[in-house]
Amino acid sequence: MSDLTTHAETETASAVPSRPQAVYEATIERIFAHTPDTRSFFLRLPDGRRLSFKPGQFISLLLPVAGETLTRPYSIASSPGEGNLLEICLNLVPAGPGSHCLFARGLGDVLRFTGPWGTFVLDQPPEAECVFIADGTGIAPIRPIIRHALASEQRSPLHLLYSAPREGDLLYREEWEAYARDYRRFTFEPLLSDPSGGWFGLCGPLVAYVERRYVSQDNDRSRYFYICGVGQQVTQLRDLLRRAGYQRRAVQYEKW
Amino acid sequence: MAKLRVLYETGEPERVIEFDPAQAPFQHDGQPGSILDVLLGHGVSLEHACGGNCACTTCHVIVKSGMAHLCENSETEDDLLDKAPGLTPTSRLGCQAIIDGGEVVVLIPRYTINQQV
Repeated sequence: MSDLTTHAETETASAVPSRPQAVYEATIERIFAHTPDTRSFFLRLPDGRRLSFKPGQFISLLLPVAGETLTRPYSIASSPGEGNLLEICLNLVPAGPGSHCLFARGLGDVLRFTGPWGTFVLDQPPEAECVFIADGTGIAPIRPIIRHALASEQRSPLHLLYSAPREGDLLYREEWEAYARDYRRFTFEPLLSDPSGGWFGLCGPLVAYVERRYVSQDNDRSRYFYICGVGQQVTQLRDLLRRAGYQRRAVQYEKW
Repeated sequence: MAKLRVLYETGEPERVIEFDPAQAPFQHDGQPGSILDVLLGHGVSLEHACGGNCACTTCHVIVKSGMAHLCENSETEDDLLDKAPGLTPTSRLGCQAIIDGGEVVVLIPRYTINQQV
């Protein structure tokens, strides 16, 4: 359709940002392949600059695809103040032009982005137990949030329930296991949806497990939840927990 | 046919788009037929830092009239709007508010919100 009309007769249909944002450029300094289709990209801003952000926020990459610029959000998996490198972690989405564009990039390539954005953050850990539920690459924003919570003076228990298809898909696993050893208040619980033969831990659907553990087999409704993942499972978890009696604002989530 | 009139708190000239809702989507970001979809598909920019995935509030618009022509808010949209400074009773996220016809008038707030630098 080309039925745009405007009061500015000379104005063309080209998009002019109404509220221009700062656009940053960063160089891909390192690429780490977690699995064949999951990578972390480590981005360096020029001149030693650092991006100021809150744990849990994301940046929006401006990706040139098929003659246009796609805006695609990627959670920051690193922590503020963690050197000059910004880490984003993503998997290759079969029908996703953004991830295909990124996976075609190499060391030294420059990416443009805006941000930081987003309100999935944890400024001050609550006094009650915090349960972090991550599915797959949904661990990315939760990683800096947990680090932030561990560094805070609040001493409430922190629990990470991390769901992935197979053992090799559990990202940053050594880090979670190290925190579980080093911090008495942190516990780590991996859950596999498609385990191989040698797995003796939790397995099965994430929503069903959460229902058993935090709804039907437990009456405590004082917990706080921070949920991140891809697709409807996230909103299913939100609805499950809120309807079970957890406070609405105690169930925070980000659905990609 | 439907009409979307866009006003800017910054004082930029207003834009008026006439479109056929049955032709949605007009591009790839946001819900098909949403305010964001209509605007981007007709060359009018609207911030959408999360790619129109209902994960931020940068496409926040204030509906001045025509609310009845928009779809109901989802819980996810309401959860995000709760965190938006400048929230009004007629605030919507452009990426979620689908226009089913008639005339809708929206105001684009001056400030992009929830960028926490």
